[in-house]
Amino acid sequence: MSTHLSQEDFILNYYRELDSREHLDACAGCREELDRLARVLDRVTPVEVPEPAGDYEARVWDRLSWRLRGEKRREQRGAWMKWAAVAAVVVLAFIAGFIAKNRNGVNEPQQIIAANPGTTATATSATAVAPATNRTQPNNTTQQQRDRILLVVVSDHFDRSERMLIELTNIAPAGGDTDFTNKRERAEELLASNRLYRRTALDRGEENVATLLDQLEPVLMQLAHAPSQVSAEELQSMQKRIEAKGLVFKLRVVQADVRATSQPRRTPQPTI
Amino acid sequence: MDDIELIDKVRNGDDDAFRLLVERHSRAIYRSAWRITGNGADADDVVQETFLRAYRALGTFDSRATFTTWLHRIAINCSLDLIDSRKRREGRIDHGEDLGTVASRDASPDRIVLGAEMQKAIAQAMAELTGNERTAFVLRHFEGMPLEEIGQILGTRLNATKNTVFRAVKKLRQQLQPFTGSLV
Repeated sequence: MSTHLSQEDFILNYYRELDSREHLDACAGCREELDRLARVLDRVTPVEVPEPAGDYEARVWDRLSWRLRGEKRREQRGAWMKWAAVAAVVVLAFIAGFIAKNRNGVNEPQQIIAANPGTTATATSATAVAPATNRTQPNNTTQQQRDRILLVVVSDHFDRSERMLIELTNIAPAGGDTDFTNKRERAEELLASNRLYRRTALDRGEENVATLLDQLEPVLMQLAHAPSQVSAEELQSMQKRIEAKGLVFKLRVVQADVRATSQPRRTPQPTI
Repeated sequence: MDDIELIDKVRNGDDDAFRLLVERHSRAIYRSAWRITGNGADADDVVQETFLRAYRALGTFDSRATFTTWLHRIAINCSLDLIDSRKRREGRIDHGEDLGTVASRDASPDRIVLGAEMQKAIAQAMAELTGNERTAFVLRHFEGMPLEEIGQILGTRLNATKNTVFRAVKKLRQQLQPFTGSLV
């Protein structure tokens, strides 16, 4: 007689995933064991599932269609934000390219001077013949241009953020919920730009701007991930967070600074 | 109009076609989800999540497969996700009461007390199983699904699927010992 069946074999035989008929016919012990298992498993009858109401399908669709609409809105917004981010990157790349080109252009005469110190007098460029104290001016100008462009771009972002935070802090918490759909969408857009500008500001060494953008980010993130209906308690908590960080005040200060810095400085014209 | 034709329409932006698919399959998905989760509220959530995931993934649906099987796979995965998240939240699952309230329809009067107790014990025993064990057992024992197909749904190899069913049966036998002692 072949070896007795294992417990696993009995289970497989019960579910007809294994056919050990030959052994079972010959082995009374295994046959008995399989019967014992069958008597237990036969008692495990499917629990009767309560039939849902007659309008179940309609109710499922009502709930689902609402979620699908939200899904589509998010998809559209996502696509829009993706293109906006791409456009912002293209603009920044263009600006960076423009600056780099200018810098290379103005550096050329300096390189010529550095390589041929004796030929200064014969250089045709005005920069090349300028006194030594003025030779560093193109570098400074480029740096200033670069900073100014970044500040102009960020200034609008600060302005929009400030407006949104002011609107938010001015909402008087009523007893019920506040519709947050519109604010959430605006916060999502601002958040995407904020991340981009923060990285750029850090790269350019604009620490003040980067710090403020860094403080603004968690607040924008909280607003972007808020539910569509915000309770009075949640609203108050958001308002407290904005006030505690003094964000509106900081935005105003930095914005005023940004405006002043980003104005092109007039070069005094020599009097004839 | 069959499922495949409706799916083509949904892919072309026709939401009404998706409504028809929902109406056609939601009841069956509900039953399947109820058997795994053990209560109506969770089954409702699984139905919603299943159709939402199906809508997002319709682009990847291979028309050579059966939509019903594909949808059931999603539903089972949703049920398992729900069980896992509930387990994480609550430490353990306890829906024996919901399952226990449903008595077998064919219980004879002389065995009604034992039958009700037995149903409760089965429900309790099922509740003690892990999500994978319960799903594998429900699909094999109640739905009569072959082990290989269960493995495809659970994403496990055949041997691992067998072991999952073995563990489920062993646990059920242990839990039902007081009721089946006279039979065993």
